[in-house]
Amino acid sequence: MRRIRLFFYIMLLGGASICAQNKQLLYDFYEIPQSLMVNPGVKTSEKWHTGIPFISGLAFQAGTSGVTVNDLFANDGIDFTTKLQERVLDAMTHRDDFSTTSQIEGFNVGFRSRNRPDDYYSFGVYGETDIIVYWPRDLAILGFEGNGGANIGRSFDLGDVSLRGEMVNVFHFGINRKISNTLTVGARAKLYSSVFQFQSTGNFGSFRTTQGQNNIYVSTLTADMQLRTAGAKEIFDILDDDTRSAREELPPLFAKRVLFGGNLGLGFDAGFSYHLNPQTTITASILDVGFIHQSKDVQNYTLRGSASTEGITVFLPEDIDNVNNDVWQELVDDIEESLPYEENNESYISLRPVKAYGSIRYDFGEGGLGFADCGCGVNMGRGSNQDFYPNSVGGQLYMIKRPRGVQAALTGFYQKRFGKVLSLKTTYTVDKYSFTNIGLGFNLQAGPINFYVLADNLLSYRNIADSHYASLQFGFNIISWNGN
Amino acid sequence: MKRLFLRLLTGSILFCMLLSCSEEQNFDQFEDLSITPTVASSIFYLESDEETINDVPAGPFYYQTVNFDAFNEEFVAERLLEGTITYEIENTTSKTLQVAIEFLDEGGNVLDVELFDIEPNLPETYTREVTYGPTGKSLNILTVTDELRISGNNQSNTTSVSNASEPKVILRSAAEFLFRLK
Repeated sequence: MRRIRLFFYIMLLGGASICAQNKQLLYDFYEIPQSLMVNPGVKTSEKWHTGIPFISGLAFQAGTSGVTVNDLFANDGIDFTTKLQERVLDAMTHRDDFSTTSQIEGFNVGFRSRNRPDDYYSFGVYGETDIIVYWPRDLAILGFEGNGGANIGRSFDLGDVSLRGEMVNVFHFGINRKISNTLTVGARAKLYSSVFQFQSTGNFGSFRTTQGQNNIYVSTLTADMQLRTAGAKEIFDILDDDTRSAREELPPLFAKRVLFGGNLGLGFDAGFSYHLNPQTTITASILDVGFIHQSKDVQNYTLRGSASTEGITVFLPEDIDNVNNDVWQELVDDIEESLPYEENNESYISLRPVKAYGSIRYDFGEGGLGFADCGCGVNMGRGSNQDFYPNSVGGQLYMIKRPRGVQAALTGFYQKRFGKVLSLKTTYTVDKYSFTNIGLGFNLQAGPINFYVLADNLLSYRNIADSHYASLQFGFNIISWNGN
Repeated sequence: MKRLFLRLLTGSILFCMLLSCSEEQNFDQFEDLSITPTVASSIFYLESDEETINDVPAGPFYYQTVNFDAFNEEFVAERLLEGTITYEIENTTSKTLQVAIEFLDEGGNVLDVELFDIEPNLPETYTREVTYGPTGKSLNILTVTDELRISGNNQSNTTSVSNASEPKVILRSAAEFLFRLK
């Protein structure tokens, strides 16, 4: 029961925020067909592959660069409010985030061209949910401590509010082409069908209470803030209306939106693999260079302006004739007029979070036959064993565009292949979430059946509640080589 | 060998995925969370020059009832714990003055009065802090207050003029209150 509650809490935490989308274990793990999804230019060996629908690729990630579940909820006898003060309010900055990403592949199919065997085509559809919420430090302190006492004179930065999230269904078609024995390139076109999207980024403003010019205090609020949403209002309307059944109305609404009934967008991926020499390979890819035109079910909220108040002020003789009883309400109205909160339905363009990978790999060791019996020679170095060195070692760089800038992760990896049946990859990754992220992935090829599991941050499993980052990917495929 | 390795790997992953450990967590602690911010804001400011006071031959030189809902808003009234209203008075006029701030309920009944007898030519700012809550006046005075009645009375003549460059009387007031949000 405790595990279930913990699981739901982590999911809740993830839902309220999100983490990196790094797939360092999958990247360049070319024995797994889904590696095409993180580098369209990865080396391909198979004649065709098909993922088993809905279980060919499932990926879940959740992370927090600040506080962990254990930091707050460990049964350690420390007062909860004290823990929140010391471990969240005093420790976390506006650059800390909570994040979660999940991907579920509907289907994924690939096949080699009969006429151009150097080309490998792949297509499919997957759903992705991606949410990131930065810790709104100053607003949290304002809510927790208030503007009085020691906070008189302190400026609370409203720009700390930064969040972004979306659920999108992606239809894709990619081409992977072996240009030469040393170079393979690839590209993938994507059509996005958005279920919902929201973002509040680039906010600006402050709230400050200081010694007043006339009265004891003056409170000043300056804001240029915006929350954009698309696809959310109709969902909330259904959830909030007691006369409507969410169970009956939400599934068809989601189904409509994932099948081009929502807001649509376009994007692409591109990548390559290049052999510097028979044992050294460099790769790179860029993913999700795209946008979605959010025009349906749009609801935006803005707060723009500036207002100051020193309370009700009366100057005599200037105000001697002002016998209005509603000066308090007038004060409130003046503030609202100076700082209008407004709603609109203007369409907008949302950009996908662009990701980029790069890697260098060195293959070594005495090779075996490897894929020799696969007959897939098109992308193999015939007459040499360059495509089946049992060991690989290298490094990878990952970057993603986030609302507060580019987040990067550096990975070192070692990969071991046991014939064509089994391949293992272990990684060590450093990023803002963890300095102790050791991952392990394995790919099993049992005849045409392919199964893979990739798990990150294994050390954290000693106390999963204290983990800053957790990631799991797995899937089933059927793969065929020539003659199979 | 491969079989052994496979078994080890499978076992390791199962160990990680299914038998991962977690220190004992107590999510009920959230109920113990206490959020009590201190909110500060100015309330009322009154400034009058001596000439205006002299221009009123009899009765108060200022008398005004203003709607004041700051504390009786439901959200505020339910969460108010304690606090202080600070008054500051400066008087550089030649007048002895009396300023009264009355707290009125919705029916116009007087709940409380703050009365200030102000000497002429005050050498420094007079400050009064009025505490509400467990160690002071009842919080109900604030949570029921619907209007403030502010009056200023001249207790002296209407002819004298202070030697100060710009003689005036100033009343400042601000509140600093503790709320329980959770």
